[in-house]
Amino acid sequence: MLKRLLLLGVVSGILAGIVALIYQKVYSSSVGADFSNIAKPIGIVISNIVGCLIAALGYWILNKLLKAKTEIVFNFIFMILSFASMLPVFAAKLPLDVNAPELFPGLVIPMHFFPALAWFTLEPLFIKNSD
Amino acid sequence: MKKVFFSMAALLSLATVLAFAPASNWQIADKYTVRFAGGGEVGGIFKTLKGTIAFDEQNLAASNFAISISVASINTGNALMNTHAKSDEWFDAAKYPEIKFTSKKIVKAGNAFQVTGDMEIHGVKKELTLPFSFQNKGATGTFSGTFTINRSDFHIGKPGGDVEGNIKLDVMIPVIKK
Repeated sequence: MLKRLLLLGVVSGILAGIVALIYQKVYSSSVGADFSNIAKPIGIVISNIVGCLIAALGYWILNKLLKAKTEIVFNFIFMILSFASMLPVFAAKLPLDVNAPELFPGLVIPMHFFPALAWFTLEPLFIKNSD
Repeated sequence: MKKVFFSMAALLSLATVLAFAPASNWQIADKYTVRFAGGGEVGGIFKTLKGTIAFDEQNLAASNFAISISVASINTGNALMNTHAKSDEWFDAAKYPEIKFTSKKIVKAGNAFQVTGDMEIHGVKKELTLPFSFQNKGATGTFSGTFTINRSDFHIGKPGGDVEGNIKLDVMIPVIKK
């Protein structure tokens, strides 16, 4: 079970990272603000993978504790944490040479939901209901 | 006798011309910085500055500054703080779009200078004396000065809170001789 969860974590992290990079490209070209020096592509991919791996461990621990109710509780916690992770973005202080910091949350906040979206998309392939 | 009179008259004329000769005009170059710090995390820059500078170290009487800073160009690095700073609670950028300083008198102070003039922020005009130095490199130069301004004097924000009363300003203006 843990092996499959970790694999799900890595694969969904990579998927979320790829989607985030595509979004970054589209966002930068459409609003004309480049934040690639702050949200570096490698950092985006790594943080998505790490986030999904933490989710995998969380799922595994919840499964040990809750058994049948794991999925619904996990999904709730994942969404709440994704929402909560938006708050530090609003408080972020960017380097002063960065123009238009007001466009930064528009780039980063949607990215905070990509790990959850990727996880929910791929989960049926890795976790069977009978597990 | 006539020769002496004409020589004296010529010298007097020359002295008069020199005393009232306009100081050298300087054009503000790019890469100027206007930084402010109000304690802790509070700090930032103003990105847009313009103005006219006539300055001659040998002729301070004819030297003068007229500088204006765009309030809307404030950048604290944080979107919410920028919006807050421009709001009517702080600078009220919509009503008072510019911070202005117009010099009245410039004097030598040790190795540096002091300029006395009218500072206008948030619609409040107040006479201030600010220290500054000038690095003359011939065709170019750099004015720099560090000083503090009490924001309560200009009715900016409410007293107390996270932002200190005295705001430290660090100004560096590179110039090119016109």
